[in-house]
Amino acid sequence: MYTKLSLLFLFCVLSIAGLQAQKSFVTRNGQISFVATNDDDVSAVNNEVASRITTNGQITFSLLIKSFFFQYAEMQDHFNSDYLQSNTYPRSDFKGNITNIQSVNFSKNGIYPVTVQGNLTLHGITKPITVPGTIEVANNKIIAKARFTLLLSDFNIHADRVAKKVAIQFNCTYQ
Amino acid sequence: MKKTLKYFLILVVVVAIAATGFVVYVYNKPHRNVAKEKAVTLTAEQLYHAFKDNEQQANQLYLDKVIELTGRIAQIATNQQGQTVIDFNTADSMVTINCTFKNKPPNIKVGDSVHFKGICTGYIPDMNVVMNNGILVE
Repeated sequence: MYTKLSLLFLFCVLSIAGLQAQKSFVTRNGQISFVATNDDDVSAVNNEVASRITTNGQITFSLLIKSFFFQYAEMQDHFNSDYLQSNTYPRSDFKGNITNIQSVNFSKNGIYPVTVQGNLTLHGITKPITVPGTIEVANNKIIAKARFTLLLSDFNIHADRVAKKVAIQFNCTYQ
Repeated sequence: MKKTLKYFLILVVVVAIAATGFVVYVYNKPHRNVAKEKAVTLTAEQLYHAFKDNEQQANQLYLDKVIELTGRIAQIATNQQGQTVIDFNTADSMVTINCTFKNKPPNIKVGDSVHFKGICTGYIPDMNVVMNNGILVE
């Protein structure tokens, strides 16, 4: 009986230690920008991306469509009202996993190549995506970067007159 | 024949001027000026509760609107583009009102209660209500 109790106690201690070992890094002001692949003038940046990475490999981000800043105000208006309908779909969310998280050493500075797999919700449509990126560990700070291309029609965004594809650049510094 | 050509030339000139005007307008249309827009007045707490309780309704009320708020500063930071970002406390210690300012407001520190306005771009559950183009209101 006594041994059983001590085993249970040991188990509890280990589980709690395990939970604590799973650290998470957060930012409320990460950066995502995009540029139309056929026209450099069509570009915007969002500096209000909320994102979280946990050391077990989970990665999520959320951004608000209205937080994209275009150099040209007129373009920003069309983007919101005509193409993204940001009153109806104000937010985009991503939830996924770093498939090779075991190759990232969060306690050792370095740049680690990663593959991220997950579901992206944009314009009311959820699609699985897989993108390559890097995780940089720099003195307790984490910097995640990725570049990938989205086909707008995959997300029911019809902006053919302006762009069919956009190159996305993900660049978030976490604390 | 000569008359037709004259009208045609006039038409070309008019179209060219209109097209130029349109392009100039599109490229020079100014971004919104928060200082000049009429604002909806609230407290940081009220704004947070509106989104927490009913996001859809709050979106209809506040999305894209200039909001004037009073809030207590929880954190002052700089975003990746060097702009000043201030987080304001809400009733939930995990959730803030996150406002990116146009310029760094002078003489402010964590704990101060400040009066400001900005454009509300929406809500990210469990994280923050997002505002940008922030300016202090005297």
